[in-house]
Amino acid sequence: MPDQEKEKPAPAAVATETPAAPAPPKPASAPEDAGQQYFFGEPLVGFDPSEITGSLIVIEGMDGSGRSTQITLLQEWLESEGFAVQTSGLRRSNLVGRDIDELLAKNAVTRLTLALMYATDFFDQMEHRILPALRSGTVVLADRYIFTLIGRGVVRGINRDYMSGLYAMALRPHLTFWLNVRPETAFGREFRKAQAISYWEAGRDMSLSHDLYWSFIRYQTMIKREFEVIAKKHNFIELDGEASVSAVNKQLRQRIAEQLGIRSTKYTPSSALSHLWR
Amino acid sequence: METQDVVQKPARTEPAKSTLPQPGRPVPSRAYPGALIVVEGTDGSGKSTQLYLLKRWLEIGGYRLHFTEWNSSPLVKSATRRGKQRRLLTPTTFSLLHAADFADRCERQIMPLLQGDYLVLADRYIYTAFARDTARGCSPRWLRNLYRFAPVPDITFYFRAPLDVAVNRILSGRPKLKYYEAGMDLGMSYDRAESFRLFQARILEQYDKMVETDNFVVLDGTIPVNKLQKQMRDIVASKIDLKRFAPRAEAAE
Repeated sequence: MPDQEKEKPAPAAVATETPAAPAPPKPASAPEDAGQQYFFGEPLVGFDPSEITGSLIVIEGMDGSGRSTQITLLQEWLESEGFAVQTSGLRRSNLVGRDIDELLAKNAVTRLTLALMYATDFFDQMEHRILPALRSGTVVLADRYIFTLIGRGVVRGINRDYMSGLYAMALRPHLTFWLNVRPETAFGREFRKAQAISYWEAGRDMSLSHDLYWSFIRYQTMIKREFEVIAKKHNFIELDGEASVSAVNKQLRQRIAEQLGIRSTKYTPSSALSHLWR
Repeated sequence: METQDVVQKPARTEPAKSTLPQPGRPVPSRAYPGALIVVEGTDGSGKSTQLYLLKRWLEIGGYRLHFTEWNSSPLVKSATRRGKQRRLLTPTTFSLLHAADFADRCERQIMPLLQGDYLVLADRYIYTAFARDTARGCSPRWLRNLYRFAPVPDITFYFRAPLDVAVNRILSGRPKLKYYEAGMDLGMSYDRAESFRLFQARILEQYDKMVETDNFVVLDGTIPVNKLQKQMRDIVASKIDLKRFAPRAEAAE
């Protein structure tokens, strides 16, 4: 499946459709407008979104969909084009990144506490990494975003409105890509990485199956269904994660080049990254 | 007379479906057999002293109870400490970290004990987050959603003391106010005592707004400790069927 081309790079007016009011693309006067235009629902305390000069590009997809590989390649390409790049991802905050690692290792944490720790981790990165970078004109490549976090909560029975309300102050990305793969493919790729499947990747906390393979497939299928719902709502650009690394990368480059106004999308990885180019 | 207001809970039966907190759904106090008593108020309002005395009274009487304090989950402790020491916390992450702490206590202590027919006493509850985090600028709507999973208390005591009384109690007893405690992160004043006063004034304002909406039982934090405690005990006895929580043998008679 090629990307579902949607001619709406700024998904601003989705939530507030008031037909009577003339909708200029950039109102930005009332704080409620800022809450909807730049964020998913509420403005973030103490932050002026009009200062943003960079671009936030999100890559979503399940474990084994090739996200990290693509981000490594995109970073090299963008840097070669002269763009400053910052990356973000789950559990990378200074505030609680390591604490979550510990909670996961001990596996003595309930779903809600874990969801809130992930939210803390997300907003710490939002405020201390993503927003400062965007203010200085940097391209931020996010390896997963709120969609994964919402999906994980929802498949564990946490109310969907609750989860999206939690992330109301998350910044709307300029582009969101979804690398869609079959769970069976993802299983093979993940297994090859570590010769094992981790407890959390397989959703073992959900008691779906005692068989690790089936637990993984069922869990990732649930997440995938959740993504199918979210994808439509938030204008995801869906890419076929089963395709080769170079083919997926080409599609990513084309769409990003359009967004950033880069003329050429030619790219061959350096020798340091050529092993990723399959 | 005394028993007129007693909350009549249904007899204890096995719940048909899970009554564990459903995140995003408020937990009505009828969903479990236990009872939840909460104290709220600004720093220095006398709430902790009063809850301690209430707890002693109930303990000496042999009632089944559990006491829980705000911001005390061991799971989240190291993160909170690090965030505060290094001043990494923003209004949003400060709020989320406390919510994670509360969620952990809620899922692992408060809800199981309420279901196990215990009396749960909480020194500060979600209203502390509503007052404090709103004072820090967080959206009230967002905060209400964040804590939607919390069981609604049977009684929420709000100890109200005038700003000067409460602030002076804290300032005279503490050598140095901590950074976040004094609301220094809000940048209202370089002087910690002054910042604390301004911050507490904002919090007090938020508490006052919740008296009606959240059914607070307002108590005057300036009257003598023993008189106040008498009032508190009378209210507890009139609103909660304490016999339910008496030692099992006596309850059976």
